[in-house]
Amino acid sequence: MILAATAILAPLAAAALILALRRLPAALALAGTGAGLAASAATLLRVAGGASLSATLPGLPGLPLRLLAEPLTALLSAVVAVVGFFVVVYAVGYMEGEGGRVRFFAGMSFFVAAMQALVLAGDWVLLLAAWELIGLSSYLLIGHRHEREGVPQAATRAFLYTRTADLGLYAAIFVLVAHAGTSEISPTLQTGGAAATAAGLLLLVAAMGKSAQTPLQGWLQDAMVGPTPVSALLHSATLVAAGAILMIRTSPLLSPAVLLLAGLAGGATALLAGLVALAERDLKRLLAASTSAQYGLMLLAVGAGSSVAALVHLAAHAAIKSALFLGSGVFQHARGSTRLDRLEGAGRARPRTFLGFAVAGLALAGVPPLSGYFTKDAILAAAFGSPYAPLLAPLALAGTLLTGAYVARALGLLWRGAGAGGPVKGARWMGAGLAALALLAAALGLAVPPIGELLTGQELPEGALATVAGLAATLGGLALGWLVPEDRMLGPLRAPAERGFRPGGGLDALVARPALALGRAAARFDDGVVHAAVLSAGRAALAVAAASRLTDERGIDALVLSLARGTRRLGGRARELQTGLVHRELLLAAGGAALMLVVLTIGAAGT
Amino acid sequence: MMALYVALAVGAVLFGVGLYGALSQTNLVMIMMGVELMLGAAMVNLVAFWRFLHPETYAGQMFVLVVMTVMALEMAVGFGVGTARFRAKGSVEMEEARELRG
Repeated sequence: MILAATAILAPLAAAALILALRRLPAALALAGTGAGLAASAATLLRVAGGASLSATLPGLPGLPLRLLAEPLTALLSAVVAVVGFFVVVYAVGYMEGEGGRVRFFAGMSFFVAAMQALVLAGDWVLLLAAWELIGLSSYLLIGHRHEREGVPQAATRAFLYTRTADLGLYAAIFVLVAHAGTSEISPTLQTGGAAATAAGLLLLVAAMGKSAQTPLQGWLQDAMVGPTPVSALLHSATLVAAGAILMIRTSPLLSPAVLLLAGLAGGATALLAGLVALAERDLKRLLAASTSAQYGLMLLAVGAGSSVAALVHLAAHAAIKSALFLGSGVFQHARGSTRLDRLEGAGRARPRTFLGFAVAGLALAGVPPLSGYFTKDAILAAAFGSPYAPLLAPLALAGTLLTGAYVARALGLLWRGAGAGGPVKGARWMGAGLAALALLAAALGLAVPPIGELLTGQELPEGALATVAGLAATLGGLALGWLVPEDRMLGPLRAPAERGFRPGGGLDALVARPALALGRAAARFDDGVVHAAVLSAGRAALAVAAASRLTDERGIDALVLSLARGTRRLGGRARELQTGLVHRELLLAAGGAALMLVVLTIGAAGT
Repeated sequence: MMALYVALAVGAVLFGVGLYGALSQTNLVMIMMGVELMLGAAMVNLVAFWRFLHPETYAGQMFVLVVMTVMALEMAVGFGVGTARFRAKGSVEMEEARELRG
């Protein structure tokens, strides 16, 4: 179990060291995530050999923190570790000459550590803590270039959206723990009845928020203002994946109604986000919308009852999407922008980067024999095989079609057109990260389905109809995207799609505005009540001080002064006795002696 | 016993004379004479009490010796002061010596 813990602790230690030493951030982050990758891979191998590891750490009283390395979590941990490591490799090149590298690499390492904790958590409390930590670190990383205009807003927006949806996770955990009486995850998954439905719905809300599902998808595209490695990590294996991971892990709990809802939400997202991606004018925002769409497909697979299809698609998508982002980062460095009109022909100028990008893109579209083909096939087969096939299968097919279309559009824009780019700093590191992930994106197709089968003990869904329809949709989408300009393709849908389907400000009205209004109300309350209370407390203290000063002056001072005056007057009297005349003083002495004699005599007579 | 009373009476008279002298005189030398007389009276008393009441102990004699020493010292210091005063002011009249007035 130490191995699995190392997967969490190595990046965490790297983050702490980077912050403490404030030097060599890239090397430390590489070492941390590399050690995490090794530990994760070793864990996966041991778990694949049939072992199931778990550990209980002392946590809160009565709520110990449990780590669990079973096939599912070990595989997810490996996905996170692989993507995290290669993205950090890439980031070494990407961040060359950029400011804030200490902050950046510490944040990345911390992000990977938190995500590892999330996937390896065997306990709702630990899962919740990790869930919050990835929210925090993504906020920090999205806002990395906080001095630029619009960046803090985007970071805040992402934070608010995900946090609002997180309330669902909190409530779900309350329901589950209250019902099952333990905070361990696996027993709570046996919950049944109304509690399971309620918890499932709440979990769905949380997952939809984190995975940017319709109607909570707006924040993800704005989050593209973060550095490209952050986007790659965010989209492929960490923050956004957390929602899908949550649904995959809790799939035994979900009741049919919740499954249907999850499938519909996922399908709707695949459709709408696909349209948005088709209309996007910015490469990174296109990829972001595509992320939403792909996680929509995963939710659809969960909803169709095949979480293993969702799992393999998650793994393949992690490699694919991070490779795509890494490629877009290279183009961004070459052209100084990610706007598609400025990227025209960027691929022709950098053919090797374009090759990696294209391989990943075609894998995303689902072209055989790349990885995406196998996983998308599994999802489609699950959709066709589910009881709600009439609802889910068309959505899945439409999502596949749109995937092909926007991938082809992006590739076309990058390849056609002319224009060379400037030299790119740190291209070697970036190339290494991109090559590794593109290779994975291509080859995972051969490895993932058997692995998924082996690990989860479930069969991947298959179906000839799904395969044929899926291939047709993929190729049709690719042809459509390559040949037909998106304006004609979208028609009247173009304008709303470009706005990201945000009717009336979209969920901003539901999430951001109430939150901001609450903030303003809190500020008013602060100014009006708390501030006034503090001020009046200060005033009261001043009044007390004035009163005490008064008593001090009138009472104590007067007393002390009169005592001094009295003493001085007494001293004056006593001075008069001292005449300086010898016989006078002798007289006094004699008188005193006589007096003493009298007293002594009386005393002696008394005894 | 008669002898004791006689001695005490002599002592009392001596003390009275000394006291009067010390209080009434203005000359430092005369004042010291008065003081000497009072000390002498005290010595007479001490000797009388020893001789007539406790002749077996010598403590009374010791006291007398102590008083005598004190007298000698007093004389020495007193005349030293008087001499210094005379040299500085040309007189030892105590009416004029009011420098120690409070």
